[in-house]
Amino acid sequence: MEVTQRVSEQEKVISLTNITKYYPMADEDFYALKNINLTINKNEYIAITGPSGSGKSSLMNILGCLDHASSGEFYLSGKNIANHDENTLAKIRNKAIGFIFQSFNLLPRMSVLHNVMQPLVYRFISNAQRVALASEALTRVGLAGKLSSLPNQLSGGQRQRVAIARALVTKPAIILGDEPTGNLDSKTTAEIMAMFDTLHQQGHTIILVTHEQEIADHCHRVIRLVDGEITSDISKNVQHSENNHEQRSLYA
Amino acid sequence: MRNFIHASIEGSKAALQSIFSHAMRSALTTLGIIIGVSAVITVVAVMSGLSANISKQLDDLGSDMVTIKAYTSPNQEMLGFFNRMSFDDFLALKGKIKNIDDITVRIPPFSLGSKVQFGRNSSQTQIIGTDSSYKNVINIYPELGRFLSSSDDLRRRRVVFIGSSLVKKLKMPENPIGEFIKLSGDWFRVIGVAETRGSLFGFDQDNYIITPFSTIRSLNGNQVTDNVEVLFRPKASAKLSDIIVQMRQILRQRHKLSEDDGERFEFVTAEKTKEQFTSITTSVTLVASGVVGISLLVGGIGIMNIMLVSVTERTKEIGIAKALGATPQFILMQFLMEALVLSLFGGIIGLILGYGLAALIAVFMPGSSSVIVPLWAIWLSFGFTTTIGVVFGLAPAVKAAKLHPVDALRYE
Repeated sequence: MEVTQRVSEQEKVISLTNITKYYPMADEDFYALKNINLTINKNEYIAITGPSGSGKSSLMNILGCLDHASSGEFYLSGKNIANHDENTLAKIRNKAIGFIFQSFNLLPRMSVLHNVMQPLVYRFISNAQRVALASEALTRVGLAGKLSSLPNQLSGGQRQRVAIARALVTKPAIILGDEPTGNLDSKTTAEIMAMFDTLHQQGHTIILVTHEQEIADHCHRVIRLVDGEITSDISKNVQHSENNHEQRSLYA
Repeated sequence: MRNFIHASIEGSKAALQSIFSHAMRSALTTLGIIIGVSAVITVVAVMSGLSANISKQLDDLGSDMVTIKAYTSPNQEMLGFFNRMSFDDFLALKGKIKNIDDITVRIPPFSLGSKVQFGRNSSQTQIIGTDSSYKNVINIYPELGRFLSSSDDLRRRRVVFIGSSLVKKLKMPENPIGEFIKLSGDWFRVIGVAETRGSLFGFDQDNYIITPFSTIRSLNGNQVTDNVEVLFRPKASAKLSDIIVQMRQILRQRHKLSEDDGERFEFVTAEKTKEQFTSITTSVTLVASGVVGISLLVGGIGIMNIMLVSVTERTKEIGIAKALGATPQFILMQFLMEALVLSLFGGIIGLILGYGLAALIAVFMPGSSSVIVPLWAIWLSFGFTTTIGVVFGLAPAVKAAKLHPVDALRYE
């Protein structure tokens, strides 16, 4: 029993081999990513960090199936998806990836409930099921009472929680946050980070792209990119609860 | 297929939401279509109403009635000729042609003096000199009194059968039978009043006086009566073309025409008159429809223009939808549906407006009491607006579907 669980914990979710991304320029191609090799296992809690222009956004776009790599292999849950067309990629995004953005990216004209239901619109399920799943996800982030509110009636932290609910509603393989606390004050940042911690404890695989050291320190594995290359990949002792506690106190 | 249906249904939901959340913009976008469709429907409805009215009136006249008139070709006219058909021609036809129910003669309308007097009141009217068979040929029925009888013909009685508007125009008693009216200095007794026919193109069809041909002849001499028209109704079993051939032969013989001489008589059937009217109304409808068709095209371009702006404006929204898993196909359907729904809404509103407008016109325009929107016009407008929605919605929809998710998400 113990053994099987440990094997499943080591299950590969993402595997990148020699991923390169370049943008054609007038004189010389610009390489955003150079031969990235990376493996991400299930239930990892990862920060991708680095200065501006280091390629972390490019990497996030590729991990999120929003963009194709120029070359290299990308396995997601064991399937090579490097050469899929846009229709297939959209379906993969819908099924496997939950996005959380810096600017929340909620639709202003839609209620909280409808915002969370949106990813389910692209699936063949009934409206009743969509409402049930979305309500459940909103309950998980503590917004069960705000179903019919509009996003602009909520605080920044609440909006980001709606976005988290929207990411969770499809039960994705990975949750991908792009500077998820970039627009939030420190108190709200602590709240949101606590929520990521909880999600991680519940078994979710979380990847956060950030340039804030505090956020990176929160994660259990920190991948640092400089000029399109991985310069460090440090895993911390995840069992050390004292460490967690110490980090949390940073935001208190 | 399942994907397509799913995308259509969810796409239309999203489209409806987007249309109603920008109600004002949507209304302005589809205004071109509304105006175009309502214009088409109005024109078609009024013309169809008019056309149906004319057909009905012509049917009332008797659809199988034939009028024979002398015909002068433009060439002859320039040479100073004027062909006539005489009373003797009529008698010759009457005696020789077997396959006809009734045949009658009349002095062409408006060739006699037109002033009529009753007491101190006078009016202008149309005087028709004919015989007692006339009522059988052109379906004219008395409301009061009786029509001309054969003894009126025979005895050259000074009697008249009048149209119903004359009773009002001359301020005659409600039952004018037995009253006397004055026509070019002679007194005539009213023996009957016709049933009301109504007006056609604003032209009063009940303003006429019918008096015996023989009486006119005795009062005016041969000069007026040597140019007549012959009206007849063929037997139901007979073939009209055979009768016409036969009649033409008799007339040409009587007028000593050789084979080289052109046509001197024309045979006008009610069917032919109806065809002429129909061709007029059809061409008016077509021309008008063509003109408004252009306005529909402009309306379609309006939709495309606003949709293109809307795609740019909603780039971020499209990016989010794509990140959340909307396929290009789905986005395409959503925008296509939006264009389609917009133009269909325009079509429906235009249809209702057009019908209302046509009904309003019918109230003010005499002779088109009924408004008819033919089913084909409804299908045509819907077909046209659907086509416009799809054709002009396609470019913006493709633009939206092709947006790259990363670029769209980054768009501010």
